[in-house]
Amino acid sequence: MTHTTRASLRDSAIGRKRTRIKRLEIFLSLLPVVLILLVFRVYPIVTALAKSFTNWDGLYRSDWVGLRNYVTFVQEGTFWMILRNTLILLLNVPLQVFIGIVVALLLYERVAGWRIYRAVIYTPQIISAVIIGFLFKIFFGFEGPFNAVLKAVGLGTLAIEWFGNSYTALGVIVFSIVWFSIGWQAIVILGGMSSIPPSVFEAAVIDGANYWQRAFRIVIPMLVRVLEFSIIASGVWTLTQLFPFLFAMTKGGPGYETSTLDYMIYLKSYGLGFGRDYGTATAVAMILLLLVLALTVIEMRLANRADDWG
Amino acid sequence: MKRLFTFSLLLVFLLASVAITLSSCGGKKEAVKLTVWMNGADSIIGPTEQQKPQDQWYVSQAFRRFEKANPGVTLELVVQADQGAAHTNFKTAGLAGNAPDVANLWTGQPIFALKEVILSLDKLVPADDLKYIVGWESVRDGFKPDGTILGYPAAQNQICHMLYNKAIVKKAGMDWEANPPRTIEEFDSALAKIKAIGVTPIVVDEAAQGVPWFFCWVADYWWTQMTTNDGILEETYGRKKFAEDKGFLATLAYYRSMYVKGFFRKDLTTANDSFTQFLNGKGALWPAVTSFLADAEKSLGADCGVLLPPEFDPNAKLVNSTVGGPGQSFVVAKNTKYPQMAVKLISFLNSKAEVLAAQKINRYPIVRTDVTPEEMGWVPGSNIAKLHKYSTTYNYWVDNLLTSGPAEIFYTQTSLVAVGKMTPLQLAEAMDKKAAAQ
Amino acid sequence: MARRGIAKQVTLSLLLAILTVTFLYPLYFMLINSLKSRTEYFVNPFSLPRGALQFENYSTMISQFKILNLFKNSFFVSAGTVVLLLVVCVFASYVFAKYRFRGRTAIYLAVLTTMFIPSQVTIIPLYVLFSKMGLVNRYWSVILSYLALFLPEAILLMTANFRAIIDELLEAAEMDGCGYFQRVRHVVVPMGRAAIFLSIIFYFITAWNDLFTPMIFLQSMDKRTVMVALAALMGRYTGAPTLQFAGLLLSAVPALVVYIIFQRHIIRGLSVGAIK
Repeated sequence: MTHTTRASLRDSAIGRKRTRIKRLEIFLSLLPVVLILLVFRVYPIVTALAKSFTNWDGLYRSDWVGLRNYVTFVQEGTFWMILRNTLILLLNVPLQVFIGIVVALLLYERVAGWRIYRAVIYTPQIISAVIIGFLFKIFFGFEGPFNAVLKAVGLGTLAIEWFGNSYTALGVIVFSIVWFSIGWQAIVILGGMSSIPPSVFEAAVIDGANYWQRAFRIVIPMLVRVLEFSIIASGVWTLTQLFPFLFAMTKGGPGYETSTLDYMIYLKSYGLGFGRDYGTATAVAMILLLLVLALTVIEMRLANRADDWG
Repeated sequence: MKRLFTFSLLLVFLLASVAITLSSCGGKKEAVKLTVWMNGADSIIGPTEQQKPQDQWYVSQAFRRFEKANPGVTLELVVQADQGAAHTNFKTAGLAGNAPDVANLWTGQPIFALKEVILSLDKLVPADDLKYIVGWESVRDGFKPDGTILGYPAAQNQICHMLYNKAIVKKAGMDWEANPPRTIEEFDSALAKIKAIGVTPIVVDEAAQGVPWFFCWVADYWWTQMTTNDGILEETYGRKKFAEDKGFLATLAYYRSMYVKGFFRKDLTTANDSFTQFLNGKGALWPAVTSFLADAEKSLGADCGVLLPPEFDPNAKLVNSTVGGPGQSFVVAKNTKYPQMAVKLISFLNSKAEVLAAQKINRYPIVRTDVTPEEMGWVPGSNIAKLHKYSTTYNYWVDNLLTSGPAEIFYTQTSLVAVGKMTPLQLAEAMDKKAAAQ
Repeated sequence: MARRGIAKQVTLSLLLAILTVTFLYPLYFMLINSLKSRTEYFVNPFSLPRGALQFENYSTMISQFKILNLFKNSFFVSAGTVVLLLVVCVFASYVFAKYRFRGRTAIYLAVLTTMFIPSQVTIIPLYVLFSKMGLVNRYWSVILSYLALFLPEAILLMTANFRAIIDELLEAAEMDGCGYFQRVRHVVVPMGRAAIFLSIIFYFITAWNDLFTPMIFLQSMDKRTVMVALAALMGRYTGAPTLQFAGLLLSAVPALVVYIIFQRHIIRGLSVGAIK
């Protein structure tokens, strides 16, 4: 057996049986995933897509209205602001990836106290978004500690109402997302680093590369796939899972100044308990879906590394 | 062969007798099981109760009393974590055909929107209940006096008012117990006096709860004084326009002027610690509903007072009142198997005996006309007794009059008018646009 | 490492230390407030407790609020989700990572696309579906919802990680007569354990902390999860915040424990050589 080549294996009877077994393995391995996703994700979203062309009120009224929900929503004065908010919030992704890499490197290199840091960095992810939102709101409130410190060091003119304006509020939210996510980024990257054989590092040292060169020229390229994962995952999280934070921190306000598409879906379907606008809510969800798809395609094109996916 | 035959006969006999016994079991009185959804925190179940084991809650004990009086009935209590989501859940469950038999929801538009899955109680409500319980208009479809009854008003009433700090007011040279500001001019100058001594007159988190607090609890009264609840209904249904509602625009204009004059804290739309500030004496007034009285009295003691909203328009038909009323209801799902028992339960919870028992735990002005403050043990002249005076003369919640389109704009954008990011007219026009699109 | 400037090292350490303090602050906040009485909390949420320490909040949580029973429910949901997720994911990711077949890219991308759907939108059709299947108020409804939600991301993570497994190892195993399951057990799982442990951590904690899904699907009192029960303690008008903080702190413990147990293993893989 060990002396025959792959090609002859394939051609022989044993080879064909092998291929059949492999096909079976592929089929059975993928079947549960495909089934679960079809039933519990695809079916609901197809239903939602259908409903987005109606004036569904959550109950029995469901008349076809074509693209009216989409058009009305896009024409609402707030649509572009909401889109802008959604995109600004995405700025947190490069920030958290960068800081995450730095922290991961520091932990990898076993900086003094690394065990404590490693145990503690994931803590924000374990705490409910409500508490985090509440604390950030107080911390950056007009009469809160942050402004107090600014005044104390003489930067009183910067002590503004952080949550009172679109851009500054979004800035604080981006900051809070980065704070919240550093731990997650760091352990994902550490996980990726754990599959880099140390021999690679040793070789780099022998070659005379200093620390930062080692870090950025060698480690990062090997982490590309992991980074791709973390960029997509954090991007998608920002676009679709941010709701609890926004709810806790700003309720999308003032007005709609910090609302995102994700938040609007909530508002339209659950808002104050009697939202009748499910047709529009699902339309907004479709718009969000398109946005996410577009961004992911762009991201994948940009990160077009040579591998056999293309 | 004979043996086999005998054996088969025996078997048939056995099976038959078993079948008969089983079927006669079914003939006995069928056990009735009712599922009841209760609001977790804002209603019958109060904060102090959740510290006790579930079987010691007032509502659990009430259920036990009911079960005892009605053998064969079991009640299953489900606590809803989020009252807003409860409405959507009820709707979805109704669509799937398994909504709870009894649910504790809000009153007004929120349940009108669910009427396709709510059982009409027109034929089921006993006449006595209609007579002695207050607040039926809040649960009749369209608020019409003859509208379909969609539920019972729940056995408690919130009354809107402003909590105020007597010490601060005294320092500013006033005594609101003897001489409360009753006209808008008096109110305005009173607030100016407080500002003059360096204290923020009104501390409020106008947007933190997703609802413009001051506007909903106080300014809404001014609005409805001039426009009346019926007028507002016309506008939300699109038959009239908010933009042409002089009362609405005037109220919003005054609201904005209050901010400009510094009567509100500067970070009105982003603050979230106003209650704390009020309890620490950093603000003179805090708009509230009855639920907060207990905590305020505990912190401020004798310095805690209640002030009812001044009259914006002394010539209005509606005077000497405030916003309030039953904000909570009990509804019965259309898919219930036991409509009479469900109504019997609700009627029981609203009965005089039960209302008295519940009030021992959670103080609210109550929805029955045959209960006196003395029976409740309230000292005349106390804050709670003062609020109780309005328990039959309140003006029903203005924000529950709005349908979901205008409501969305109202809830999210009204506070922007105070800080000048939006003009009153822009707000009104936005609400009109939504009303027209419904 | 000694070659890096001391200043740089000190600054970085300092920054990490500050970061650590901020990470721990919310826990500290909940702790001090869980020991206050309700009114004391409203008066000043940031001070240390001044009156008697209210340990009753904790004893109430355990004996009367029955938080341990709620832990049981949350645990069934979270652990059940993680176990099933791993089983389904490991095999699927292995196939995506190491097998070649027509349509692989298409199916992979299709799986990923489902990740982009926000859950608020699917919840209502899912409720109706589960209702027809009779699964409302059963753990399965939440577990299946979570599976559907987490699968694409977990597959993305594991596939990325499994692709780094050296092909020769797998071939060697196959040559040695290892069947499919044995290859997974002896090569894929050990080599890919970083991703597996990461998944355990992420998804257990996400499921444990989630409020939205169990609030809708598990409503009966004896099946409620911890977070849902705690959310009921704070209404718009009334609330028991100090009690809620005690509960939140207690419920953070299992999540922290899971994290601490598994995070050591992620870095442990560093020194283990791949080619044995």
